[in-house]
Amino acid sequence: MSDRRIPRLLQTPAVVLLLIWMLIPLGMTLYFSFIRYVLNNLRRPEWTSPSLSNWRGVGNYEFVLNSKDFWFAVQNSLFIVGSILFGTVILGILIAVLINKTFPGRGIVRVLLISPFFVMPAVNAVLWINMILDPVLGLNGLAVGGINNLIDNLQTAPVVGGFFSLWPEFEPISFRATQTSAYAVIIMVTWQWTPFAVLIFMTSLQSEDQQQKEAAILDGASAWSQFRFLTLPHLGRPIAIVVMIQAIFHLSLYAEIEIVSRGNGNKNLPYLIGEFANNNIGAASATGIFAVILANIIAIFLLRMIGKTLME
Amino acid sequence: MGRIVLEQVTKSFGETQVIPPLDLTIEDGEFAVFVGPSGCGKSTLLRLIAGLEDTTSGKVIIDGEDVTQVSPSKRGLAMVFQTYALYPHMTVRKNIAFPMRMAGIPEDEQNKKIAAAAESLNLTDYLDRKPGQLSGGQRQRVAIGRAIVRDPSAFLFDEPLSNLDAALRVGMRLEISEMHERMKTTMIYVTHDQVEAMTMANKIVVLQAGNIEQVGSPLDLYREPRNLFVAGFIGSPKMNFIEGDEAAKHGAHTIGIRPEHIEVSSDAGTWSGVVGVSEHLGSDTFFHVHDTGLAETITVRAGGEVSFKHGDRIHLTPRQDVIHKFGPDGLRL
Ligand SMILES: Nc1ncnc2c1ncn2[C@@H]1O[C@H](COP(=O)(O)OP(=O)(O)OP(=O)(O)O)[C@@H](O)[C@H]1O
Ligand SMILES: [Mg+2]
Repeated sequence: MSDRRIPRLLQTPAVVLLLIWMLIPLGMTLYFSFIRYVLNNLRRPEWTSPSLSNWRGVGNYEFVLNSKDFWFAVQNSLFIVGSILFGTVILGILIAVLINKTFPGRGIVRVLLISPFFVMPAVNAVLWINMILDPVLGLNGLAVGGINNLIDNLQTAPVVGGFFSLWPEFEPISFRATQTSAYAVIIMVTWQWTPFAVLIFMTSLQSEDQQQKEAAILDGASAWSQFRFLTLPHLGRPIAIVVMIQAIFHLSLYAEIEIVSRGNGNKNLPYLIGEFANNNIGAASATGIFAVILANIIAIFLLRMIGKTLME
Repeated sequence: MGRIVLEQVTKSFGETQVIPPLDLTIEDGEFAVFVGPSGCGKSTLLRLIAGLEDTTSGKVIIDGEDVTQVSPSKRGLAMVFQTYALYPHMTVRKNIAFPMRMAGIPEDEQNKKIAAAAESLNLTDYLDRKPGQLSGGQRQRVAIGRAIVRDPSAFLFDEPLSNLDAALRVGMRLEISEMHERMKTTMIYVTHDQVEAMTMANKIVVLQAGNIEQVGSPLDLYREPRNLFVAGFIGSPKMNFIEGDEAAKHGAHTIGIRPEHIEVSSDAGTWSGVVGVSEHLGSDTFFHVHDTGLAETITVRAGGEVSFKHGDRIHLTPRQDVIHKFGPDGLRL
């Protein structure tokens, strides 16, 4: 009896601390989400301090659900996370398979490949949006300008000139625009997180059984069949890990969205929370609770999926 | 059909030559066993035949056709690996179906062959399991099933039983021999267990450092080993080698006498010595005899009921008709 009580007693402080650590912020958020609480209001100064007498019930939730940006932000969050996952997993597998072969300079190539992962997200966003994606001064503008010049020159060339004069002038894509700012974020985050996927897939590829491959070669499997039937199933678990970790990380993207377009045409839930928090803490808290619910739904969904691949 | 001929085949890894020029013919329907100590090139030779390694020079000929440059899957051979090399994510059924699926064989024909293979290998109850849920012996049978359904012109086995326990090894050994009797397909079997070699083979190929020391039927090798290496390698326990005066009496540099060809007695015999360790197997007893003045130890086999204690003086009489004589170069005289 008592030999059980002592370890429990010793664990208690840690458990209590953890509970406080997690429950207090969540409790505060819940509390704020049910009251009127704004930072600035000249007509109703009593709303500027949190108090139970400002009880609003589900009013904040209704306000958030009816605000024009909420459903857009949910959709956009899912779109951005889904696209990044798709991009990093496909690119990660391709690159990992390519550099798994031995070739001269492999060590250096590996270090270079990992390096994007060590760039700070904000720096990453500034670099991409100004140096690469900028329609005038960035690589994007320069490349399109170069292509246009080339076509101009070809139009006066003797034989093929006629063909090229049918071509239009190309326009560089502006990645800060309402329609494209989400793509800019997807591109830069995919670039930054592909190394993470490569790293994990590479480790897994190195533990692949070579005799299985030889058996498959004798069984008449082409390189593609070997990849499809041996390598891909072997990568099932690492793919699940990469998807899981990244989904949780990218639901909370913020810096990239802020730097690319200040949320113009491209909001996710954290960004919306940030906007509400400029003044309306009650609405921001309610959005926060929605974000927690969304994250849980996605986590449960992914856990199911991973569970299934592990069972197979 | 499955007649496999190696002509002046060599293999080097970088600078080191693992297989010096080697000629070997394995006739259609034969059960050939490659034996030799670890690292002598048995697996390499098998992989050269399978096409998993490229020859450095020389030709591999299967049924009269030069396949040296032909890809492994086109050679019509099936291989069973020591580690089974089953596909871990597929069920037993899918594992066995895999080569047929790659060859584009229609589904109903696949199913027929799977059913037949599973039947003959006692795998019917396990078809929907994953390899991870099978015992070692069952995995080995799945690997064999995957080889059978391809109807290969020859089977290649690389130490297929070395991961199994002793009892299972005996059982599988019989099953593979049985399979060879039934199918009459050429089989090449690599092992370093000379009991497997003796019991299964029609033809044993003894290798040392990539060289073929002798090729022949198990009894040929047992009765007339060509040199000291083969004499020492074939037979268990090992043949006793005696040099010096005793050998000179027989006009040889070295004489060899197998433990089972020496009579023991407590009072009289040609040689005498002191009993060291005795190993009682029930049916037989092996005595390790010291202080004979002939060699460090002489091993003798006696019946299970014969019993001498450690330190007893014992008299030995070799059977004169089965003494092997070798010259100073190690070759049989
Ligand atoms: N890929 C390789 N690169 C370099 N050397 C190799 C390679 N594969 C095998 N060898 C060498 O070739 C020799 C023969 O190897 P092999 O695997 O054929 O031996 P084996 O007879 O099958 O031995 P075992 O009974 O232990 O399996 C060994 O000395 C080994 O070190
Ligand atoms: Mg080997």
